[in-house]
Amino acid sequence: MANRNARASQKQFTFLLIAVGVIGAGALGWVTTRPKGGGQAIDPNMPLGTAQGFMYGSPDAPVKIIEFADFECPACGQFATLTEPDVRERLVKTGVASIEFFVFPLPMHKNTWSASNAAYCANEQGKFWEMHDRLFYTQDLWNGEATSSPDKKMKGYAADIGLDAGKFDACFDSQKHYPNIKASGAEAEKRLVTETPSFIIGGKLYAGSLPYDQIKKLVDSALAKVPKADTGKKGAK
Amino acid sequence: MILAVLSLVGLYVAMYLWLYKLGIVGTLSCKIGSCEKVNTSPYAILFGVPIAFWGVLYYVGLFTAALLSTTDRFGNDRRMAPALVALTGWGVLFSAYLTYLELAVIHAICQWCVVSAILVVVMFALAVVELRAGRAGRTTPA
Repeated sequence: MANRNARASQKQFTFLLIAVGVIGAGALGWVTTRPKGGGQAIDPNMPLGTAQGFMYGSPDAPVKIIEFADFECPACGQFATLTEPDVRERLVKTGVASIEFFVFPLPMHKNTWSASNAAYCANEQGKFWEMHDRLFYTQDLWNGEATSSPDKKMKGYAADIGLDAGKFDACFDSQKHYPNIKASGAEAEKRLVTETPSFIIGGKLYAGSLPYDQIKKLVDSALAKVPKADTGKKGAK
Repeated sequence: MILAVLSLVGLYVAMYLWLYKLGIVGTLSCKIGSCEKVNTSPYAILFGVPIAFWGVLYYVGLFTAALLSTTDRFGNDRRMAPALVALTGWGVLFSAYLTYLELAVIHAICQWCVVSAILVVVMFALAVVELRAGRAGRTTPA
């Protein structure tokens, strides 16, 4: 009797194990073979516009920090909210460096095109950086995990930073900057950027959310290579 | 037996997160919390390797041990139950550390990490019950 029970129990266990194995393998197979995009459908035939970098600081600063970032990428958000304030305060405002920001929308992010569109439209009214900051500081509220309809949020942020709502909405709804956003992404790929954020400092590409100390080191190193007449009396703290 | 089934579930969860880190899975399905924020944070890497990969190794080891404990050859081995308690106990401690990082440092929760943490706690409880039952069985006079 006990033997029969043990055999039945062993049978049930084997069945359960096989069932979990098959279901799990099926689920993993499905997630690895489904289309990876998951993001907003973008017309693949859309023409390329102009790749535009958004400048923070003086264009004449001796060292240029070129950043490629995706508004929906958490590491970019971490950099923008934790590290960038120090970079702006200590390196940009002192005239040592400038930041040129290129949008690099990654295909896995659902709402990044909407956010990029909002930033480009804010730029039309001279408030790119205000929108940049707003988007990164509120990333958890509008990203693909938070909402599937981010446009309303974008329009709310435009109002928050004091943009003309009529002009912003017209720009945003027309999606006229989409070709430029695509061009900005193409510019990143052309420069062999594979992840966000990535930075070009002193002509070299660095991937990942760099801490302030590392950026300072790289900027100092680039500054040392700039001819003295170009640097003047500038120096970073 | 249940331990083997649960560790297989854990293995699939860890593999899912590892495949994401390898870029094979586009986006993580995440209804609760912010899985991407957690899995792209600097704390998602340990000794230069994604934590999810260590998770895969851990669950492979646990699954193998749990499976062996159901066989005639190893099922009656006295060392098996304490080994499973030690393995699952280590999982509980490590999951507690990861949960602390999520709540106090990263300030985001990954639902798949929570699933894994719940699994190891349940498996630890089962392993302890199994150990106690084994000891009680041995001390009961025939």
